[in-house]
Amino acid sequence: MEPSLILIAIGAPWIGAVVVWLIGDRQPRLQHLTAAIASLVAAAAALWLLQPTFWGETGKVVLRLPFGAFVGDMTFVADSLGVFLAVIATTIGSLTVIFSQGYMAGVAQLGRYYTLVLLFIGAMCGLVLSGNLLFLFLFWEMTAFCSYALIAFYNDDPKAVAAGIKALIVTQLGGVGLLIGIIVAAAYLPDLQISTLLAAAGSLPSDILTIIAFGFLIAAMAKSAQFPLHIWLPDAMEAPTPISALIHAATMVNAGVYLLARFYPAFAAVPGWTAVVIAMGVTSALLAALFAVFSNDIKRVLAYSTVSQLGYMVAGVGIGAIFESQFYLFSHALFKALLFLSSGAIIHELGTRDMREMGGLWKRMPQVVLPFLIGAAALVGLPFFNGFWSKELLLETALESNPLGVYLPLALGAAITTFYTARMCRMVFFAPIQHERTADDHPHVPLSMSLPLALLALGVALAWLLAAPFVSWMWATLPFHAEYILPHRAPESLISTHTLFAWSTLIIMSLTLVGLYLGWRAGATTAASARLAPRIGRIEAFFNESAEAVSGATRQSAALLQKTQTGQLNWNIVGIALGLIALLIIILQGVL
Amino acid sequence: MTLPPFVWLILWLILSAPFVYIIGRIDILTDSRRNLARWLSLLCIAAGWLGLGRTLTAFYEAGNIDLINSATWTLGAITMRFDGLSVLMACLVMTLMTAILFYSGPYVGREEGVEKHYALLLLLTGAIIGLVSAGDLFNLWMWFEAMAITGYPLVVFYTHDRTSLEAGIKYLVQSSAGSVFILLGVALVLLSTGTLDILEVRAAIDTTVIGTPLWITAGVLFIVGFGVKIALVPLHTWLPDAHAQAPSSISAILSAVVIEAGLIALLRSLSALAGAAVTWGGLLIGFGLFNIAVGNLMALRQRQVKRLLAFSSIAHVGYMILGLGVALYVGTEAGAQAGFFHLLSHGLMKGLAFLAAGALLYGLQHQLGASDDSDPGSHKGLEIDDLSGAAQRYPIIALVFSLALMSLAGLPPLAGFMSKWQVLMAGAQAQDPTLLIILIAAALFSVISLGYYAPLINRLYRHKPAVAVANGRTIPLSMTIPLLILAAAIVILGVAPMLAGQLTAPAAADLLSFITR
Amino acid sequence: MSPLQLSFMGIIALLGVGLYALLASRNLIKIIIALQIMTKSAILALVVAGNATGRINLSQSIALTVIVVDTIVAVLALALVVQIKRQTGHLDAAKLTDLRH
Repeated sequence: MEPSLILIAIGAPWIGAVVVWLIGDRQPRLQHLTAAIASLVAAAAALWLLQPTFWGETGKVVLRLPFGAFVGDMTFVADSLGVFLAVIATTIGSLTVIFSQGYMAGVAQLGRYYTLVLLFIGAMCGLVLSGNLLFLFLFWEMTAFCSYALIAFYNDDPKAVAAGIKALIVTQLGGVGLLIGIIVAAAYLPDLQISTLLAAAGSLPSDILTIIAFGFLIAAMAKSAQFPLHIWLPDAMEAPTPISALIHAATMVNAGVYLLARFYPAFAAVPGWTAVVIAMGVTSALLAALFAVFSNDIKRVLAYSTVSQLGYMVAGVGIGAIFESQFYLFSHALFKALLFLSSGAIIHELGTRDMREMGGLWKRMPQVVLPFLIGAAALVGLPFFNGFWSKELLLETALESNPLGVYLPLALGAAITTFYTARMCRMVFFAPIQHERTADDHPHVPLSMSLPLALLALGVALAWLLAAPFVSWMWATLPFHAEYILPHRAPESLISTHTLFAWSTLIIMSLTLVGLYLGWRAGATTAASARLAPRIGRIEAFFNESAEAVSGATRQSAALLQKTQTGQLNWNIVGIALGLIALLIIILQGVL
Repeated sequence: MTLPPFVWLILWLILSAPFVYIIGRIDILTDSRRNLARWLSLLCIAAGWLGLGRTLTAFYEAGNIDLINSATWTLGAITMRFDGLSVLMACLVMTLMTAILFYSGPYVGREEGVEKHYALLLLLTGAIIGLVSAGDLFNLWMWFEAMAITGYPLVVFYTHDRTSLEAGIKYLVQSSAGSVFILLGVALVLLSTGTLDILEVRAAIDTTVIGTPLWITAGVLFIVGFGVKIALVPLHTWLPDAHAQAPSSISAILSAVVIEAGLIALLRSLSALAGAAVTWGGLLIGFGLFNIAVGNLMALRQRQVKRLLAFSSIAHVGYMILGLGVALYVGTEAGAQAGFFHLLSHGLMKGLAFLAAGALLYGLQHQLGASDDSDPGSHKGLEIDDLSGAAQRYPIIALVFSLALMSLAGLPPLAGFMSKWQVLMAGAQAQDPTLLIILIAAALFSVISLGYYAPLINRLYRHKPAVAVANGRTIPLSMTIPLLILAAAIVILGVAPMLAGQLTAPAAADLLSFITR
Repeated sequence: MSPLQLSFMGIIALLGVGLYALLASRNLIKIIIALQIMTKSAILALVVAGNATGRINLSQSIALTVIVVDTIVAVLALALVVQIKRQTGHLDAAKLTDLRH
């Protein structure tokens, strides 16, 4: 049963993708319908896998397809780390596909859009369920390709194309890290199975394990948009908003966290590795939150907020809090998808992403306001939304394990998070109407858009109830991670008064209140703080400029190299003569 | 005298060429519009497939067929051997040639000299199969020259076009200079071992100790000589010109088969010298890195589609010889298999890319600059900007073109991803730190290559088509079908890479049998 | 100095002359002549090698084949040069640089 469920979760969206492409752009309704059915089938299959009878341990292969000597067997494993992300990818995927029916109505080249979205959903399931490193990498690259193609979906807009190519190149740079890690691992291991690497990590030569560990770390850094490779994510907001919700908030960006969590037992002992993971996570959490404070583009704020929240998860993995970070990931996927989709509804209505041109939406778009505010409350960590429980849990563990290095900055980050969230909410909903476009009558939000919002809002409000079953699931299915899953805590204490009255919670709550108050005040004026804004802007620009310097240097060297292609016949012969002489010298020197 | 089937195949292809030419010529002179030359050459290739089928069954049943001293003409002893390397290349060249003969019908249409072009294509096929089954060094040179000589007129198909002529003369001069070096190498081998048969040379070098500098110099001369054809940096300068200026079907052959055939010839000659106390593999790895770096960087700033693809060929040669270099360097079959797999997949995907670019050129040509019919000799190149929105007008061509580009860029699940992966993986298995750094560099340059493939794909899928695209003419089915078949091959080899093992495993085994002998 | 060494010095000299001409001359006809000179050195090398190893029959037949092939190449090259002269009006290799970068 499990094999067919896994095949359906991956295959149904892919079949749907082909069908949508074949249907052609002349029948958009049929395309919508096919895409929705394909993604819903995949979601049903993934949810079906949650049944305890289908639980599979890491290393217990449920599906094996032989692929020749070189590649090894393509295997799939249904352990909790994988299935959990597959469920998120397919359910949020189907909600976005449904949402797209309203959002993308009337957009040209819809076939390409749905094909790529469905390809992505299937590839994401494959990525997390794969038990073979090569196929993990293969699906990893496929998600990167889909992400690029969807960011650059509006191909006529040079900004979108540039953003897409930037995302592709940055994530592929990370991909090189993963690739090198995998091929080095393969050279020292009998096969490419993930469980082999996890089991044999201790017996590998230490320098080899270091290369693998840091290669994977770079991959995670690029994919999860952690500093300093975060630069692609804010630009990726050129994508249609449902894509931002699905790929750049709820699923693909989590792949990096998944990778770190998946291999944490193997790499935890590598000297310096956890320290770098923690440093990366903490820096991202803090700096990205700061950048979010000074952005006026609603999607950019959300994008930086994603980077920052991913930083929490990465830091969580760094301190060995595997369950806490995965639980955080679960909450974040729900509330960030909700925030993006509802902001999409707003953008769709107003035609602008600039928060300074919004305002006064409180009365105009009630179907959107409530979901957005629920999402924001979860992001801030107000009790008793899912964000509250997961954040408090993570921070409490951080306080116990590393109060200065992790807890303190993350607590500060939480305060900044509340600041920018409050500011955003006020600017969008409660500030005076800023633009004539906002003065229209009540707009119509179609059911295809409001239904996903309602469902996600419900999830955000209630998903924390699943914490205890989630823990027992992880305990049961992750033999390699067992010692890192809530070692000092009983599962009953996860959702209880214990968390409510912990010291950590009290500190965070008071910081939250301060942040909310200050942020609310800041949201009243559209002008950002005159003193701080340019400085933060400079830091923000620094990363982009250094990336541009690298690409500029590449282009420069290409231009220099072009000068060698003079097109003159005699010069071409010089190349041959020089090649001959150089080779003779090199070789004969070694012999004579 | 019974000749083995592969000799029949070569003879058939070579001997049928003059008939195709003569009948095509008569056809043109009598002013009939039947395009007989094309149909006849297709027929010849179809018969060739029968011969190849016989050859393959014989091969997979018996292993190597030796035809030593079968026919001692006044030319001396001629040795032909049809081993794994020959199987690989013969299948590749026959596949692509069939696709191209279908495709050429509308593409070259009724240009001046079509009958010559079809005859030369048949000759080229025969020469390449001969080249890859040559068993002694001089014979190897002769087939190599035959391949080159048939190649020159094909490159200069548009004999009234300045740029074609320029590309042709550069190609000819550089290639001939290279072939002189090969001959000198042959002379040195003859001088030092007294024989030219590859097996005998290999055996002689194993037992003798003196004369090492001679062998090494011979090896270097082979590398430089064949290297011109393979476009090793810095011997590559002719390639972008010739590949960009030839008709697209010829560009496809040059990039997808001729380079690869030269590489096989180089491997044969180096494997004869494998006993010399030098790591030829190390040299190939070094050239591989050079090629990857220069090819990718040069492609980054090209504005012309075919020139871009030509530079990308230089980079891909780098990946091939990286894998094969690892095989020679470490002596593992994995590297050889990987290199050959990349050779195969590059043949398919670059062939597809050139053919798809050619199809677009065919559709748009009457719109590009030289619209006045008074100057039929001017064949404008296809600029990247001309492709804007091609997917609107030509959805299938755009799809297969982007598949080819994605495969070239190494994106899954396409053949280019799998073969590049295997090359890198085989390199890592050597467990050598220096090699690992080279592999990292190769992987990073592969990322750079996205910087020129991706914008091309984005262009194709623009919503607003360029004027030329909007007024483009329909692309006939006989051009589209070969493209679809090649695209399917890329996808299938990407999804099921083990299928390539049928071809690459014997080739790798035969190459390795020389090195570890 | 042995005859073998002497003849190899001749071969290298011939090759050097050809290569130098190939590098230095801009006239296409001269470039083709340079190619011819280089090929002649290779033919000489083959004959010398065959003579030295006692396989003069083999090397003679090889030399003949090379001469035939070489002639074909020369004919093709000259045809190209004629066409270039017709189309561009000059024979200067240094001016044939439409294709670069």
